[in-house]
Amino acid sequence: MSSSLHLSLIRPAAKIKKRLAQVTALPPDNPSGILRIMEEPAPTKPAAALTPEKVFTDYAPRIYNLARRMLASDVDAEDVTQDVLLQVVRKLDTFRGESAFPTWLHRVTVNAALANRRKKAAREKHQLSDPLDHFLENGHHNGPIRRWAVDPKYRVLEKETHQLIERAITGLPEIYRDVFVLADVEGLPNAEIGEMLHLTLPAVKSRLHRGRLLMRTALAPHFEEVA
Amino acid sequence: MTITCRELAELLIDFVAGELPPEHHQRVEHHLECCPPCLTYLETYRMTIQVTRNLPCQPIPPELIEKLRAALKEIKDI
Repeated sequence: MSSSLHLSLIRPAAKIKKRLAQVTALPPDNPSGILRIMEEPAPTKPAAALTPEKVFTDYAPRIYNLARRMLASDVDAEDVTQDVLLQVVRKLDTFRGESAFPTWLHRVTVNAALANRRKKAAREKHQLSDPLDHFLENGHHNGPIRRWAVDPKYRVLEKETHQLIERAITGLPEIYRDVFVLADVEGLPNAEIGEMLHLTLPAVKSRLHRGRLLMRTALAPHFEEVA
Repeated sequence: MTITCRELAELLIDFVAGELPPEHHQRVEHHLECCPPCLTYLETYRMTIQVTRNLPCQPIPPELIEKLRAALKEIKDI
């Protein structure tokens, strides 16, 4: 075998090993540095007591964003934000200066969003499709899998890209959307999500995984490299 | 024992979280070494997680800010 032919046979395998090393070297699922929407802002001075004004300024946008992503509706998110904010301000004395406040706020917001959804007569009627069904009977992919032309480490994505991702979240079926938003947007641990939504840990993981696969499928046509 | 592409896809959530038992982890890595489509699938699965985590907080609509301020004022006045 000539040396050039030998090299051409070796190179693809070496390339795959290099890509595999890069992928497996990425940080784990919940690195401490991720953005957590309800997280208390980093204090630059000693923590101030929680006042209605502070709650309004620091937390109202976060309540609004969580509700909007869970409910996929600006109008419903506005109702929930108002309900939650008033509820929180009325009970503020209980949480003055306590670190449990963000966790409690998450729970109040999730409960209010779920209650808002229950009130609605129109439920999702479409069939749930399982993204894992998109494989052939022999277990192979049912089409080409293309690489994406997006740098995930680039933290300031374009506004259009944000809108694209928000639309994909909105398009998720409710049962996957709730878990996906709480886990991957809010950065909450799976166990905490299970408590909030009254789900077992395996159920949380199953829904999160399917939510991610559906998001991947929705984003792929926009991010794939041109063949 | 080898695994199929579909079986690998089912294991991705635990694989990226580093929660797969060693014997399963090894099978996934072995499959990825031989299957470029699955390697790309894994890369794009991870990218999906990462781009979602970079989402910014959208500003509250001005009309809602007004409504909330009015509601807060009512509480303070009680």
